[in-house]
Amino acid sequence: MGIPILKLGHVLIASIQDALTDNDLIQLRDDLSSQVGWSRATGVIIDVSALDVMDSFATRTLRGIADITKLRGAKTVIVGIQPDVAFAMIQLGLDLDGVTTGLDLDEGLAAIGRGDRGDAGHG
Amino acid sequence: MADLDFSAHRQAVHLTDEDIARHKRFVGLEAADLPRIAAVRPIVMERVDELTTMFFDFLRGLDVATPLFRRGDLLDEAKRMKREHLIAMVGGVYDRAYVELQLELGLLYSKVGLDTRVFPGAFYHLMNTVGAIVMANAGDDPQKAFQNFMAVKKIGFLDIGLMIDIMAAEREQTISIQQEAIRELSTPVLQIRDGLLILPIIGTLDSFRAKQLTDSLLRAIRANRAKMVVMDITGVAAVDSRVANHLIQTVAASRLMGATVIVTGLSGDVAQALVSLGVDLGTLNTVGDLQGGLELAERRLGYRIARQADSSLETA
Amino acid sequence: MPVMGDDGITVTIANESDIVTARQMGRALSEQVGFQGSDLTIIATAISEIARNIVTYAQRGEIVLRPVTANSRRGVVVVARDDGPGIPDIARAMQDGYSTGKTLGLGLPGARRLMDEFEIQSEVGVGTIVTMRKWLRR
Repeated sequence: MGIPILKLGHVLIASIQDALTDNDLIQLRDDLSSQVGWSRATGVIIDVSALDVMDSFATRTLRGIADITKLRGAKTVIVGIQPDVAFAMIQLGLDLDGVTTGLDLDEGLAAIGRGDRGDAGHG
Repeated sequence: MADLDFSAHRQAVHLTDEDIARHKRFVGLEAADLPRIAAVRPIVMERVDELTTMFFDFLRGLDVATPLFRRGDLLDEAKRMKREHLIAMVGGVYDRAYVELQLELGLLYSKVGLDTRVFPGAFYHLMNTVGAIVMANAGDDPQKAFQNFMAVKKIGFLDIGLMIDIMAAEREQTISIQQEAIRELSTPVLQIRDGLLILPIIGTLDSFRAKQLTDSLLRAIRANRAKMVVMDITGVAAVDSRVANHLIQTVAASRLMGATVIVTGLSGDVAQALVSLGVDLGTLNTVGDLQGGLELAERRLGYRIARQADSSLETA
Repeated sequence: MPVMGDDGITVTIANESDIVTARQMGRALSEQVGFQGSDLTIIATAISEIARNIVTYAQRGEIVLRPVTANSRRGVVVVARDDGPGIPDIARAMQDGYSTGKTLGLGLPGARRLMDEFEIQSEVGVGTIVTMRKWLRR
């Protein structure tokens, strides 16, 4: 089951609807990677608010997406990490340092508009 | 304890069949005791009113028991239940229903504020009287009468054991409810401007509290759509490497939700100690004091705070 | 398909979609036991990590989820069992950042941090059993 990717101006929005299998995530990475190229997007927002768990694989893949889109000229913002999920990620030893994060879609769009650097937690 | 009413949170204390069985083992109650208790039964039943009256007369003589005697309605209820309990003591069935009866009586005593510590004495007095009556009715076999009484005495100790369990469980419950209340009071997350939260941390920060604090901060970030958080640790009793790691985790978790945390109130001594312990504070945004932290947060959010040249002119 | 028995729920782990099933069953069971809020996500995350370990290293195995009671405390126990290659150096596998597969190397030590108790038994060529428990705070 693929994750639908919407285009809004120069921004691609992928909204994860359900608990994801590893293959869904890899599919999303490949889809976004190719779409960023032909759509000439400058920003990518991945909404993970429906994700039940962000384990090491999901975190690594999302970080990979941010790296790939950056190389292709688009900035990725991950939005909607739930309080419980954020808490479990930290306990597990995971972080998304270097990737811009936002509370929700609005914040994500604002961050792309501002051209925030990917480091809410620094300087 | 009396000042805070926790009754809404309090759950009834229940002992399981397992607990009851354990107490029976403690006092060595066995099947052979049941016929012995049955032999004492008619003697006690005949004098059950007398024994009940005597039990309360003994209590009446104690200063600490006066609250009970001021409440006529509850006193009658207590007498009725005590009488029932005496009958049950020689009834031969010591199951959950038996324990429930004790619980009810205990609840009634605590309603009038009666100190539970008076009961072992009153109970001892009662058992003594029962013993005297049993021996007076021994007939030509005092040895057997004594054995019978010893079986009843096991029930007496069974009761005391159960009572201690109930009291301990109640006390534990009170303590945990109070702790919960203190924790909630001690970790307020306040919104002071749109998008700006302040989290003053006071007291000791163990892993459980750190977890709870992070939990409430993350929820507040979402509820208030906060972008900046000023976390003031001036009031944290001792900042060691463990506490520092908790704080670092809280900051990292907030960042995952898109919020930036500024830590204030980290004293020079503490900072030096942490660095020498090898704690990496590089990931923390720190500002000396709370005021400085708030100013930085406001600037980041785009606020410009300016004092009016002469406020009296404005309001005139 | 997960199997519900007297001995808890058994989820066969044979491919990566079973990881999702295992953690969802784990969350549901923990909720029944009385866990709330972030604890549910923490348990589900730990299950996700050890289930992925099975898929990555052993290809096939099972996860058994059970409620437990001990010393009047309630909790859940998660047992992950496989007959894969086994772990030659457990101490090293429990270090952060150690990985022979294509993961971050956070799986086992991470799961240990998430849960209250964590035990691992492994024999090369025989398999691995990970047992972890989380207790409900009274």
